[in-house]
Amino acid sequence: MKNRYLIFLLAITCHLPLVSCDTDWLEREPPSILLDEQVWNDAKLVTGVISNFYDRLPAHTSLTTGWIEFAAYDEAMRSGQSNQEGLNNIVSYPFNRWGLWDYDLIRDINLSIKKLEEISQFDEGRKTQFISELRFIRAYVYFEHVKRMGGVPLITEELIYDFSGDPSSLQFPRNKEEEVYDFIAAELDAVMSTLGNEGSQTRANRFTALALKSRAMLYAASLAKYNNQMGAPISLPGGEVGISAGRAEAYYNESLEASLEIINEGNYALYTNNPDLGENFYEALISKTNNSEVIWAQDFLSSADKRHGFAYENIVRSVREDNLGSSAIAPSLNLVEDFEYLDGSTGELKTRTDDNSDFIYYDEVEEIFANKDARLYGTVVYPGAPFKGQEIFMQAGVMVWNGNSYDVVEANGLGADYTDGGVLTAAAGPHRSIQEVSNTGFYLRKYVDNGPQTSTRGIRSEVWWVRFRLGEIHLNAAEAAFELGRSAEALALVNALRERAGFGPNSLSSLSMERIRNERRVELAFEDHVVWDYKRWRIAHAQWSGNANNPNSMVYSLYPYRIVRPGDSRDGKYVFVKNVAPRFRAPRFFQLGNYYSLIGEDLIDANPKLVRNPFH
Amino acid sequence: MKSPILKISAVLFCVLVVASCNYDNFDPPQSMLQGRVVYQGEPLGLRSEGVQLELWQPGYELFQKIPLHVDQDGSFSAAVFDGDYKLTLLRGNGPWLDQTDSIEVQVRGGKTLDIEVQPYYTLTSPQYSRNSGQLSATVQVNSINPIRAVESVAIYVGRTAILDAVRNEANLVVSGEELDLSSPISLDINLPGSLAGRDVYVRVGVKAAGVQELLYSKVEHLP
Repeated sequence: MKNRYLIFLLAITCHLPLVSCDTDWLEREPPSILLDEQVWNDAKLVTGVISNFYDRLPAHTSLTTGWIEFAAYDEAMRSGQSNQEGLNNIVSYPFNRWGLWDYDLIRDINLSIKKLEEISQFDEGRKTQFISELRFIRAYVYFEHVKRMGGVPLITEELIYDFSGDPSSLQFPRNKEEEVYDFIAAELDAVMSTLGNEGSQTRANRFTALALKSRAMLYAASLAKYNNQMGAPISLPGGEVGISAGRAEAYYNESLEASLEIINEGNYALYTNNPDLGENFYEALISKTNNSEVIWAQDFLSSADKRHGFAYENIVRSVREDNLGSSAIAPSLNLVEDFEYLDGSTGELKTRTDDNSDFIYYDEVEEIFANKDARLYGTVVYPGAPFKGQEIFMQAGVMVWNGNSYDVVEANGLGADYTDGGVLTAAAGPHRSIQEVSNTGFYLRKYVDNGPQTSTRGIRSEVWWVRFRLGEIHLNAAEAAFELGRSAEALALVNALRERAGFGPNSLSSLSMERIRNERRVELAFEDHVVWDYKRWRIAHAQWSGNANNPNSMVYSLYPYRIVRPGDSRDGKYVFVKNVAPRFRAPRFFQLGNYYSLIGEDLIDANPKLVRNPFH
Repeated sequence: MKSPILKISAVLFCVLVVASCNYDNFDPPQSMLQGRVVYQGEPLGLRSEGVQLELWQPGYELFQKIPLHVDQDGSFSAAVFDGDYKLTLLRGNGPWLDQTDSIEVQVRGGKTLDIEVQPYYTLTSPQYSRNSGQLSATVQVNSINPIRAVESVAIYVGRTAILDAVRNEANLVVSGEELDLSSPISLDINLPGSLAGRDVYVRVGVKAAGVQELLYSKVEHLP
């Protein structure tokens, strides 16, 4: 048996030399790999490469990357499935929490720029346009790095190892923090006029570059100003962290100029297409048709299977269309109370009488939210507010009068009735302990798709993620102008935003930094700003001090109850109870070492020239 | 024919599981390194989970620190392998002056050492008195290295012996600008209802500007 095989094998081996092969057998074009010459000379393929880079842009919280972290600060808490309960129990933010070291992406961009310069046969105009776009993306990536890590090595060329056994030519020390911000500004200035993409809301054009400049320069300016106002400024001797106070004014000026250029020259306007102001604010972020406010967004498209599950995860429990999901991010009472009343009074909700002797009784649950900033409606679903065409009624339980005081009765499940035939606990909750129902008494509206079936896992949502919009530019400009002592300009910008939210014209007559900060908080909630704003103002460690007695470190809830008191005029009315949200465990704790993220030991091992960040 | 093979492989599998791999395992570290963070021989009161010392072992290609977490009474301990280590203090981490020199630590079967630091401020002779809903404390703040100003002096009251600026039921923070450090400082705090009629624990702390961690007195138990 064995012999037969041997003979067969021998026969084949003997004949092989006789067959010979095609002369260019080894010179064929690979059937499965695109060559440099092919890629960099085909506009479609280059666009493909660039779109890959857009897709890989780092984000801390967006609709896809890290969306869950919206529930890790004071804007919201986790109310979804209990497997992520850790978000309500972050004992302290770890030092590596915001860490980013994405030199893979930077290298790919550098490589692409080099290939375009060396290999590409495009005409100069097109080549410059592509390179400008790549340099914009690189500037954005460096901005993402510097706001988390402080100064990082600025690498703008491909680094090649020579296999000499000595990698020190590839090891670069960190640049100064201000050098990175200056680099970003210089790059953006250089590419601004050649970016092209006029009118695009998803690819970078001149105004996208200006928007990035507006934000980056504002960050640099406030770091320069507020870091040096700390008892002991956070800095490193080499300047890798810490910008001198003297540079603040110049940075504020650069930011303001960029913002004003967008406001004056860009073809953008605050979104006002819907006369219902609350709905209008909601649509300002999610509407993709005739949206004149959005400057730059990460788009999604169901027909291309580019979609996300943000609506599945966050839709209101009682209108969810899937059998699971919903309610993951539950906005906090803290945020809700930051929305002012339209008469200009502070936003604190009135649940008790002035002398704190009794509840205030409301006829309907939504009455307590009457005459609030319309942005509240556009940001959260509060008890009694509509979503997807239904009223979202919320009630945690009933309060039964026992002759002297109220007994609180709550159901173990949702959608239960009390013995008097009325509702006990509503289908939308809130509930103390059940998963996938709001724990705070509020649901998220911003960015949650209201299209049919979009909250199912089969269909999912194609709402886009807005990276820059005119609303933020208004606030950037206002902040910079205010810091520069030009309060009249700042006031006009803030008042324009407030007018859209339902306040009358010129609702504010004077500004303070506190007001501007609160405007940012209510206008830009759930748009990935709160952490970075708190960091650059150097207030994060005071806001999130880890102490349960500090209301800013805690997440509060608002539970509506129906009064059961037959024969009394208050029977059937609603009262509200404010409390720390029951599923919320540990106060938010941000330490000084969190202002700049940890540079991992693996990175320092690989490059001993990197210096550690302060407190690490 | 098949069944014996199956049986044999089943038996072999069991034997293999029981045998496990012996040779590529090594014993866990067993030498205890323990000590205290002291000033003039006295251990310093800190926040548990707050202060960290670093232990580095040079001589290997890759570095990874062994964090030594200091307890609230200033003590620390770690099980390590025998060897020569360098102990460093993280800059800006504890309520004391930065010390850039590393401390050589030789561990042979066990080691006890005190780390002498130079605090900005220390607290001596805290006295507490409690009457019904009020708790009064007096404490002397000593300026040891007052290159950073006193940001605040605070008193913390709680129901457990683990007590600090983060874990407490009641606290009173007095800004450092209002204080005269030449004489003992008195702090009077009204206790909340949740602490009424209970045994409480209490300690005072002093914060130097720009340093996250406070230096505390010993936790005391008040009936």
